[in-house]
Amino acid sequence: MTARLNLDELAALMKSAAGLTVDPEDMANRPEATFAEYGLDSLGLLGIVGELENRYGCSLPPDAERAKTPRDFLDLVNTDTVTTTGA
Amino acid sequence: MNSPYTRCPVVTGIGVIAPNGSNTEAFWKATKEGISVVDMVTREGCEHLPLKVAGEVRDFDPTELIEERFLVQTDRFTHFAMAAANLALDDALLGRADYNRSPFAVGVVTAAGSGGGEFGQRELQHLWGQGSRHVGPYQSIAWFYAASTGQISIRGGFKGPCSVVASDEAGGLDALAHAGRTIRRGTDAVVVGAAEAPLAPYSVVCQLGYEDLSRCEEPGRAYRPFTDAACGFVPAEGGAMLVVEERDAAVDRGSRPRAVVAGHAATFTGAALWEASREGLARAIGSALADAGCAPEEVDVVFADALGVLAADRAEALALADALGPHATRVPVTAPKTGIGRAYCGAPVLDIAAAVLSMEGSVVPPTPNVVDVNVDLDVVTGKSRSADLQTALVLSRGLMGSNSALVLRRCEKSPS
Repeated sequence: MTARLNLDELAALMKSAAGLTVDPEDMANRPEATFAEYGLDSLGLLGIVGELENRYGCSLPPDAERAKTPRDFLDLVNTDTVTTTGA
Repeated sequence: MNSPYTRCPVVTGIGVIAPNGSNTEAFWKATKEGISVVDMVTREGCEHLPLKVAGEVRDFDPTELIEERFLVQTDRFTHFAMAAANLALDDALLGRADYNRSPFAVGVVTAAGSGGGEFGQRELQHLWGQGSRHVGPYQSIAWFYAASTGQISIRGGFKGPCSVVASDEAGGLDALAHAGRTIRRGTDAVVVGAAEAPLAPYSVVCQLGYEDLSRCEEPGRAYRPFTDAACGFVPAEGGAMLVVEERDAAVDRGSRPRAVVAGHAATFTGAALWEASREGLARAIGSALADAGCAPEEVDVVFADALGVLAADRAEALALADALGPHATRVPVTAPKTGIGRAYCGAPVLDIAAAVLSMEGSVVPPTPNVVDVNVDLDVVTGKSRSADLQTALVLSRGLMGSNSALVLRRCEKSPS
């Protein structure tokens, strides 16, 4: 079973963990835009990583909390390691 | 740049979030009228605790005043401080256009007595209830004493000297003094003050150990300093933030200097040693007056610490007698905090706000719920009193032994 994270879910996490209102379409259209540009700081990203780890019941790759863009973050989170062990 | 000796710190903006009003105008109207709002504790999770009476800020919706991205990472004490800071900046007409090109010219100083207890309790409950993976990362910053200074600085883009004063309740006055020194050293403006949120279950339980906390269950009788009925103090939430600026810089940008932060001194005499606080407070008053170049007879009004504990009240009256001589029995003394409770570090900053507004309005606000004064002071009770006020003395003591005195001078009316 795969648990792929998409931009809609990421936007929802940015809202719940960091109080940010971000349009998932905007993230899709601007793949180079960084988390910082959306107002997400390192503690905010850490909160999202923690929420996903609790949800999946396993650790995310160590680089996840250092991802600079939503695209990089999704690529890291949606690896086989996470989706298979997390199923 | 002026020399440190001629640079003069003045108050140009006042922002208040208090139990008797969530803006400066409402606070001052209720204060002047002597309305008491100390009331039964209703904060969630506190109702069953043996602290029954407090000053709650009820007319305050942080979601209307503060952006969500700040709300999720801050405690209620920081919500108060951020909201009060905005009111003070608006009052001073200090906006981003004024400092965009020189963000290092504006600093932030707050005082804190307990940090973010409500936020901390919630995250600690996650820790022990669900495990360490369920503690949010903002716990690492939200409950720190420094949180309000940091968030006000980030939100406003203030890159000047920022600091936090942790010196007990009297730290509220020490913060103003520190802002004054910061101005003298070359910073143009400082956003300064204190707000507290001690009415959450964990925080209340921490306070239950204070001998001087009033356990009285009748709001009108719970906090009556300077009377034989004194039975301790009533805690409160809220506080005030001010904008303090260098006088010439304020005038240059068209702002209104309202009061000079003229003198300050602080001493320490140990926890719960109220008799010893007499000497310490007297020394603080004398040194603050010397710092301001002010004779005792020039003091037109005193905002008292007014703890509501017999020994402490007597020590304060004697300290005033020691420091002011015969003038101590003549000068009007007030403690408007009996109507709202003591917001720890926020309390003396609320007194500073009231002192500036008193000088501007030529009126001494009364001390609610206090009758039959048992010390040799002219405590203003019942109704406010008209008086020409040029100099105000604000006093504060902390439960852990800090004593502090601050002298404010009214600014001459600007030629307009």
